[in-house]
Amino acid sequence: MADKRADTQIMPQLSDQELLDARARLPQHVVHRSFVAETVVLNLRTGKYHGLNPTAGKMLEALAAAPTAGATVPELAREYGVEPAKVESDLIVLCQGLLERGLIEMVDADPA
Amino acid sequence: MQTQPEAPADPARERAARSAAFGLLLEVDPGIEIPGISDVDATGVGGLDIPAPGSLISPPAAQPPTRVRLDPRELARRWNRAEHTSKRVRELRDGEAVLLSVELAPRAGYLLYAPGFGRILIAPDGAELICEPEPGCSQWTALLTAQALPLTATLRGFEVLHASGVVLQGRAALFAGPPGAGKSSLAAALLRRGAALLSDDTVALEPHSGGLIAHPGAALLQLRAAEHNRLSAGERAILGPPETFLDKQRYSPSVSASPAPFGELFLLERSTHGPPIERIEAVDPFALLASTFNLSVRTPERLTRHLDLAVTLAATERIYRLRVQPGMDATQLAEIVHERLLEL
Repeated sequence: MADKRADTQIMPQLSDQELLDARARLPQHVVHRSFVAETVVLNLRTGKYHGLNPTAGKMLEALAAAPTAGATVPELAREYGVEPAKVESDLIVLCQGLLERGLIEMVDADPA
Repeated sequence: MQTQPEAPADPARERAARSAAFGLLLEVDPGIEIPGISDVDATGVGGLDIPAPGSLISPPAAQPPTRVRLDPRELARRWNRAEHTSKRVRELRDGEAVLLSVELAPRAGYLLYAPGFGRILIAPDGAELICEPEPGCSQWTALLTAQALPLTATLRGFEVLHASGVVLQGRAALFAGPPGAGKSSLAAALLRRGAALLSDDTVALEPHSGGLIAHPGAALLQLRAAEHNRLSAGERAILGPPETFLDKQRYSPSVSASPAPFGELFLLERSTHGPPIERIEAVDPFALLASTFNLSVRTPERLTRHLDLAVTLAATERIYRLRVQPGMDATQLAEIVHERLLEL
């Protein structure tokens, strides 16, 4: 069976705005599990475990479900009671960190 | 229709003794006697019937036995053919000296080498262990019980914790912590309080009905000389006569006859302050991951299973910090743990 994921273009180096407009997805070689005070992200290719604090863990879950990274901002801002601009900057830092470690991929947003 | 000819009978296999340890059903060739692992009869593993779907021992019953045999020539033949594809996946050193190395060649399996003890080649699926003891080494089977069988259990789908464990009131209480924290001494002290030994140093766990089952390991328990000297006459009577093994005294107390549901995990730490025992509300997942015994098997399936075990353990909400304070000996610690276990 063909991997539909292969049809999606993985985006190269992105500006902050391009990053917010793109969709984040977890590669097949990445799994994550939530614990009470931490989310553990495991890269099955490298065998390395990475820890995320509860806020970053929540952001990762939101990113994986949203059509674009930027679409998660209003809900996260409401949930944590902070300015959207603050959420946006934290989200960009998180995405860049996850990208550097191969834990997410940024792809074109769904046409819909 | 032509049928496949039957494989020729293997006389050694026919005479092999069946044993159980770390959740594995073992078929041990004549000529190998593994201290701490005793034979089971033809119908039972650890006192339970095989096969018994849904029972606590379903994995070993569902899997073919793991064969353990002595065959240095076959080991050399298989390894020599595959060695060019091998890579070292683990090494345990004491300064310059290599105490243990593990090499993986995908087609041949995992080769364990402990200088002074010998080599053991474990098939990639854990179905066979081929042993090559070093000449004159009477205690080479320690490499089997301490390293090869726990690694094989991992290949067979179990997760192995670097922990000692006892069974008390039908539940497994496990003790993890850094070397020298007192895991074995605590287990020994609990035997005197009516517990049965589950395993010393490595405990095989498997998921079962949303929980976990802990499997008995070898009936061996090792204590440092200082701990051995502190044992009371009553404790020595329970542990039986020791033999010297490296820098420790090794005992062969009776081991739990059957697997037990997971009860509690105690994380031992040396500390000068805080209550001696407390439940951990938000357990550090990395502390659980670090409690794993086997770091050699790093397939995606196993790594995922490893993480899932940490999730399952954390979800039990029965993980405790056990602080070993200065001057506290294993007997006092056992009293604290015993009281807590009776309360639960």
